[in-house]
Amino acid sequence: MTMSTIGELLNQFDMIASNPKAQLEKYIAGGKQAIGCFPYYVPEELVRAADMVPFGVWGAEGTINSAKKYFAPFYCTIAQMGLELALNGKLDKLSGVIMPSICDTLRPLTQNFRSAIPQLPFIFLAHPQNRRAPYGVEYTKSQYGSVKQKLEAIAGKAITDSALKDAIRVYNESRAARRKFVKLAGQHPESVSPIHRSAVLKSAYFMDKAEHTALLTELNSQLEALPKSDWKGSKILLSGILADSKNLLQILADHNMAVVADDVAQQSRAFRLDVPEADDPMTALALQFAGQDYDVLLYDPELNKRPEHVVNLTRENGAQGVVILMMQFCDPEEMEYPSLKQALDKADIPSVSIGFDQQMRDFGQARTQLQAFADVLSSKR
Amino acid sequence: MSARTTMGIDIGSTASKCIILRETPNDGRENGREIVSKALIPFGAGTSGPVRVIDQALADCDYRKEDMAYILATGYGRNSVEAANFEMSELSCHACGAYFLFPGVRTVIDIGGQDVKVLRIGKGGALDTFVMNEKCAAGTGRFLEVMARVLEVKLEDMARLSAQSTERVNISSTCTVFAESEVISQLARNKNKRDIINGIHRSVAGRVAGLARRVGVEKDVVMTGGVAQNSGVLLALENELQTDIETSPLSQYVGALGAALLAFRKLGSLEA
Repeated sequence: MTMSTIGELLNQFDMIASNPKAQLEKYIAGGKQAIGCFPYYVPEELVRAADMVPFGVWGAEGTINSAKKYFAPFYCTIAQMGLELALNGKLDKLSGVIMPSICDTLRPLTQNFRSAIPQLPFIFLAHPQNRRAPYGVEYTKSQYGSVKQKLEAIAGKAITDSALKDAIRVYNESRAARRKFVKLAGQHPESVSPIHRSAVLKSAYFMDKAEHTALLTELNSQLEALPKSDWKGSKILLSGILADSKNLLQILADHNMAVVADDVAQQSRAFRLDVPEADDPMTALALQFAGQDYDVLLYDPELNKRPEHVVNLTRENGAQGVVILMMQFCDPEEMEYPSLKQALDKADIPSVSIGFDQQMRDFGQARTQLQAFADVLSSKR
Repeated sequence: MSARTTMGIDIGSTASKCIILRETPNDGRENGREIVSKALIPFGAGTSGPVRVIDQALADCDYRKEDMAYILATGYGRNSVEAANFEMSELSCHACGAYFLFPGVRTVIDIGGQDVKVLRIGKGGALDTFVMNEKCAAGTGRFLEVMARVLEVKLEDMARLSAQSTERVNISSTCTVFAESEVISQLARNKNKRDIINGIHRSVAGRVAGLARRVGVEKDVVMTGGVAQNSGVLLALENELQTDIETSPLSQYVGALGAALLAFRKLGSLEA
């Protein structure tokens, strides 16, 4: 077998990330059942252990029509587009959906979705905010237990401890491979454009994780073999919920901004923590959630730990500035922004906040801001 | 060797501006450039404005397009200027143009046709940080245009009428559509147009000041863009921010001026 080039591998990831419908149909045609996994922190290992394919549903770029009946206009488009996809029949081939309710926007979505799409098996997931205390871990475990039962009913088979342990191993390998890729992509921006970087990470939501890891391991080893990069442009850290808009990412590329790290919910926030080793795999999954941190959605008794984390992440990865892709009408991200900005200012790290949503069609203002931000970074080099 | 010339073109959403600069002996700052021609056409991106503004600027001086050593485009329509050698964000151009006119500037407030920008200027006139309005016309030139139409007054008369206000009328909403309804409602209550216009100016100032405070307002504060010519908004903004704000008769040309100045820098880096 001949080895694919870096470009060929990246294009393969891009093709998958851009065509979730084809991926879903491929799995269904192969006799698999697929479960839609909405944001955030879905224990996908349970789906895999039930011999089904977890399929990420983080909205989609498009126009909201049918879902408008259920939401006010000033509602997060990820939630609105999630329901829009279902109302338009795009999720019909799924055997069920798991929908967390970790923010005030997702919670009403769960109920609207259940009411609007009664035919699709629905699995509600309530994570606890007090996740670390033993009672919090127990609560998570009981919620995951309920998810497990419902998945077993859909799959028509029991999820064994052994299958779950195997799924945890596959997922930990996937997380490790993605973390390694994030580092390598930052070290070789000439070879991995912002669009390709996003495609590699996004495709994981539409692929069997073992398949994704195999392809990514090949890419990582080729990136590792590259000579040291002599990048002349600027280096940035991306923050926000999503960073998959090709239009926005192309603007970064047009102005020689390399993404060397991220604090994006759909990207690094989703795979920075492995499931720990434990005799009981359900406890292990609950402990993983207990250990999650540095997310606007997760209760932080110290309040400012996350902004400090972003500052440290920026410095550790040699980023010169931070581009915050601010999802319109996301209350948690918008409410946290002043403290994040303050922490970045205090650390003398330039930052810019670009408002966007999944219905965005005109990127002129974003281009103006990002082009000016590139000038700011270049003047400070 | 004859003095080199550059052209800066700023294609905004509602107007196109052009400046031609000529090199003069340098006095130690970036000054040492002389404006030999300027033109403004009240049509912006996607119209005949960009072509016409270049033609007019050239017609008003002894130069041809071929004489320009470098042409730099900026503004919303910067990507569609075929004559340009390079394009840059209007934020960087406004920073450069404002620093040229006001070397003590630390904060630039630029209110254009469809957006509002607040820039913090660092050492040497470099853009340090900035903030722009979100996708909303509130507080922009377009907002004032809509209000002028509803009130059946000319845009250029708004400052004069506002200065004659005797009663405080609050236009609380800064959303253009809702503010329009509010203005109509005030008219229906027989409120005087002068007082309503004054309220509109304070409404714009409140919106822009909120944006400015995000960046942090440091003196000297300079206002650029077409709305800077409206002394009613300028005064309301001075009151809101509790600071003097400078402006220039060239306020609408600051982006084009910055572009022409940055064109000289581009020339310098090409020659280095």
